[in-house]
Amino acid sequence: MEVVAQGVPLENFLVLSAALFSIGVYGVLARRNAILILMSVELMLNAVSINMVAFAVYTAPSLFVGIIFAVFVITIAAAEVGLALGIVLRVFRNRGTAMVDEIDSLKW
Amino acid sequence: MGDAWVLPVLPAAGFVILLLVSPWLPRKGDWLAIGLMATAFALTIAIGKDMADAIGAGEFTGHARSWEWFVIPGYMDIRIGTYIDQITLVMLFCVTLIALLVMIYSTGYMHGDRRYGWFFGIVSLFVASMLALVVADNLLLLYASWEIVGLCSMLLIGYYNDKPSAAEAAKKAFITTRIGDVGLLIGIIILFTQAHTFNIHELLEMAEGGHIDTAWLTAAAICIFAGACGKSAQFPLHVWLPDAMEGPTPVSALIHAATMVVAGVYLVARMLPLFEAVDRMPELIAGIGLITTVLSALMGLAQRDIKRVVAYSTLNSLGLMMVALGAGAVGAAMLYLFAHAFFKALLFLSCGSVIHATEQQEVDKLGGLWGKLPITAPVFAIGALAMAGLVPLSGFWAKDEILVGLRHSHLSTFILITTLVTLPITALYMARVVLLTFFGEPKDKHVFEHAHESAPNMTMPLVLLAVLATVSGFVVFEGVGKALGFHSGWLGFVYNLAEGPEEFSVDWGMSILSVVLVAVGLGGGLAIWGGDAKLSKRAAAFSPFTYRLLLNRFYIDEAYQLGINYVVLAAGQVVAWFDRAVVNDSGVNGTGEATSFLGWLGKYTQTGKMPNYALAIVVGVVVIAIVAFGYRG
Repeated sequence: MEVVAQGVPLENFLVLSAALFSIGVYGVLARRNAILILMSVELMLNAVSINMVAFAVYTAPSLFVGIIFAVFVITIAAAEVGLALGIVLRVFRNRGTAMVDEIDSLKW
Repeated sequence: MGDAWVLPVLPAAGFVILLLVSPWLPRKGDWLAIGLMATAFALTIAIGKDMADAIGAGEFTGHARSWEWFVIPGYMDIRIGTYIDQITLVMLFCVTLIALLVMIYSTGYMHGDRRYGWFFGIVSLFVASMLALVVADNLLLLYASWEIVGLCSMLLIGYYNDKPSAAEAAKKAFITTRIGDVGLLIGIIILFTQAHTFNIHELLEMAEGGHIDTAWLTAAAICIFAGACGKSAQFPLHVWLPDAMEGPTPVSALIHAATMVVAGVYLVARMLPLFEAVDRMPELIAGIGLITTVLSALMGLAQRDIKRVVAYSTLNSLGLMMVALGAGAVGAAMLYLFAHAFFKALLFLSCGSVIHATEQQEVDKLGGLWGKLPITAPVFAIGALAMAGLVPLSGFWAKDEILVGLRHSHLSTFILITTLVTLPITALYMARVVLLTFFGEPKDKHVFEHAHESAPNMTMPLVLLAVLATVSGFVVFEGVGKALGFHSGWLGFVYNLAEGPEEFSVDWGMSILSVVLVAVGLGGGLAIWGGDAKLSKRAAAFSPFTYRLLLNRFYIDEAYQLGINYVVLAAGQVVAWFDRAVVNDSGVNGTGEATSFLGWLGKYTQTGKMPNYALAIVVGVVVIAIVAFGYRG
């Protein structure tokens, strides 16, 4: 595979990935709704995938390492989200709320 | 002589066996202790014969035999073993013989006592450690035995454990000698750091050759002498010996007359080349001995308890032995030790016989017992006269040799003159105690009526000791020495290694002078306390201050008690406060409470809210990333 777009440096993709990751981190920390937190986690995972694929294409295209990594990430993300949503549903039925800052019974 | 190591083992085995099984042995096992003691005595005789042959055959400088003990290759090689020479032999003979006689005597005196078996066990342990002390070839083994000897002394002084005064006396004895023992330990350690050996022979050679730094040598010598002062009750550590009379009389005879208290004298005699290598050390030794002699002679004049009088006479004798050693007269000192073992043990055991007969110890309750105690009274008198130094009893020859040694030494004549002055004083108080106990009108009719002579197992050792107290002085004569199998008299056998063997010759001037002084003392005693003792009452009334001073032993004990109350106990309060406030409250409790407090603070981080934990994770990752990449960069 050859370089996707002429003249686009690698750093652009890395910055994009970092920005998406940061937004995802912000989302995980600042959101109250559990579903939104999961969405932010997905965003982080995607950011990482972009990073991996960018490196793969720009540095060692014939090895496909980054691309295979991204495929794994997508698979695992899918499985993990299924599990996480199941937990959120359970918690919602138990506590009546999906707001994570209201679920604090394991405190001192 | 190579088998001398067996000597301490025999009574030690007796100790172990008796302490374990004596309640189930017939007669509580006293025959076992006595049997082992007799075997030890026989072995001592064999060693003596061996040594006499060795000396006769040629150059004999002592027999050494040792085994590996602590070996660290390249750093230390400490061996344990025995070293037998003439001084050792004298001590072995005295210890085993007196111990044997005391044990036989105890079968009568201690008969029926609740702790009879235990008594023989501890006495056996004492003899074992004393023998180990005497044959030890290195200071470490000597120190260990020294401590065990002190322990046994304490245990036996406190034998009557239902009497608070006995417990107090035992405590006092142990603590006072402990003060000396600390000095001894420090001295041994100083010598080890300087000479890298505990072996006595090597240390003496190094000291004589000047291989040890003078300052350290002086310090070590003073410290070791302090140990000897503690054990041998020299001033100012003499206060425990009179109180030690709380123990049973056989204990007093064995430990506080004939053997343990002469351990200090033995130590000084053994280490004498080291002491003589230090400037003015002999003067110090003689000076302390002199103070002890004079003080104790004066204190003995006023005591009312017959055992106390004999205790003070022991202090007197010990001081005299130290003076002799200070003068370098090892032969004279050991001769006095030899004779003293017999007549002092005799005095104590006959005191015990009097006590056994009358249940009394104070002269206020005794008197007129001469006819009532036909064996005890004469042998007591013989012991007293030997102590006073009447010719031809053993005490005379020994004292005479000390006086001759003093005269020929480089010590000042003041010491000689003061020693001569103590001669009549000694005769005086010995005459006093004999007259007040056995002559005159009985002061308590009831006691007098019930007085009866003791059984043969008590009187037999007394008679034997009386014979020895009479004739043991004659060993100074060359003829007597040769008849016993040695190649010369006493002075050719036991002598100062720096000076060599001596021929015995009578110093007529000194001898006649001492005879006169003793006669003056005895005559004065007769005049003051004989008959109805009118003069003594006038003397007491003449100066009540002096009388009280002497009776209360110069108030030295009271001074020590004040020192303890105001200095030692006060310091103890400070240390106790420190232990409670700093070590316990702040240190132990404090760290616990601090940790609890930190934990209490820390619990507030467990909010239970997931976003908080997520933030913590993110912050942690960022910090680690900065540290990792920053560090590498």
